[in-house]
Amino acid sequence: MNDVPLLLDCDVLVGHDVTTGRWSHPSAVRDVMKATGVSGGLVSSLRAVHFDVPSGNDEADAVASDNGWSWCPVLDLRDPLGAERELERLAGRSGVIRLAPEKQGVEPGFPAFEHVVRLLVEAGLTIFVEGDVRKVSAPFRGLGARVVFLDTHFYHLGDYVVLARAEPGFLTSTRMLTGPDSLEIVAAEVGAERLVLGCRTPFHETNAVVRRLLTSKLTPDEIAQVGSRNLLELA
Amino acid sequence: MIIDVHAHWGPWFFSMDVGSLAVNSELLDRFGIDIQLVSAIEAIVYDAPAGNRSLASQLPADPRLRGMIVVDPRRPEEARADLTELAGDTRWVGAKIHTDYSRTPIDSPAMRAAIELTSEFGLPTLVHTWGDNLLDLADVAAAVPDARVIAGHMGAAGWPLVPEAASRSDRIWFEPCWSAPEAGRIRWILDRIGPSRLMFGTDATLIDPSIALATFDAANLTPTEHEAIMWQNATSLFNL
Repeated sequence: MNDVPLLLDCDVLVGHDVTTGRWSHPSAVRDVMKATGVSGGLVSSLRAVHFDVPSGNDEADAVASDNGWSWCPVLDLRDPLGAERELERLAGRSGVIRLAPEKQGVEPGFPAFEHVVRLLVEAGLTIFVEGDVRKVSAPFRGLGARVVFLDTHFYHLGDYVVLARAEPGFLTSTRMLTGPDSLEIVAAEVGAERLVLGCRTPFHETNAVVRRLLTSKLTPDEIAQVGSRNLLELA
Repeated sequence: MIIDVHAHWGPWFFSMDVGSLAVNSELLDRFGIDIQLVSAIEAIVYDAPAGNRSLASQLPADPRLRGMIVVDPRRPEEARADLTELAGDTRWVGAKIHTDYSRTPIDSPAMRAAIELTSEFGLPTLVHTWGDNLLDLADVAAAVPDARVIAGHMGAAGWPLVPEAASRSDRIWFEPCWSAPEAGRIRWILDRIGPSRLMFGTDATLIDPSIALATFDAANLTPTEHEAIMWQNATSLFNL
């Protein structure tokens, strides 16, 4: 397509990726966004994921404010009592939450995971969740949850579609839907309103995710919808 | 000129519809790829001799395609028969070995024997690498006289090992296609080993070519790097 629509990344991280030792500084995020035509998005803090939720979320809030982005607070599923307190502290400040169960070693059947999910759904928050969609989807099923699965790989696209048919609030990031017909299958099966541009800037190759969307066989309006409109409606 | 050294033909068992050779041709058209080296999915995931013959019947349909003969290290006699029958045809330019689907670790005697076999036929061999086994492939390349191997996926998340692998053998090349590409790999590696050991590959029709093309674009290749990676290195290695 000739006219590039507004692009927003639902999956931006700042801080220390403790598994690889790499860091994301806001300046690096800005550089990648500038190079790839992404105008902004939802930023979360790895400090909150790996170490301290309140100070990490405040970091994300500050980074977002400084750069004209939006922030996505994180909860720690290892600490459901702390999650309750953080939700009280955050009340009214954000309509979205990010969960990272695999990074925190929390499995879908753990009581803390199910408890926090129920709290989030009752609060009407949109949840962005990392991890294998086949596994991490379980606690959200049957609750009317509004969830964006951030790590849906096209190997598991069929699992996502089957889930999404039964769950109108289940959406997916485009990041690893990298097969030649992955985006197109999701759009045909459950609608382009279920796709949200997600790049995991600056750790993942943002340019590849953006290029896949812009060269897809979705209609120009669907590309614009996936590129930003769906996220704007969620957040 | 763009040469894709890592591609496939045939259906996958995932929820996708890419089995027709027309999908290869359409992607070549749409992304401006001039030559594509393909191996048969049937040969990789199920039956190497049968898949190689299925691909032989398909190759004439698009003159941009070249064949990669799949070798299953567990079936060395049938592999020798396939190589004897097909390697003399100029449409077949290399060999392909998948470590996971053949359940054969790179550091196993069977894998070394398979690479000795493809080297005996003078074929560059694309080997699936993932993680630390990138170094195992470099060691096999160093140990097998006349071996010329390409590390498919460049080890995926094992990409920081590329400089070490390159230092262990000058007969290993690297092809970085990946469905989940981490940022900044290409420039980091170019700055350490230069462009002579990197090649462009897509993993089509499993992965959309836009992923690999955009990954290399993000590395801001110099004109010299671009020419080397996108076609010159492949032309030399595969005698295209």
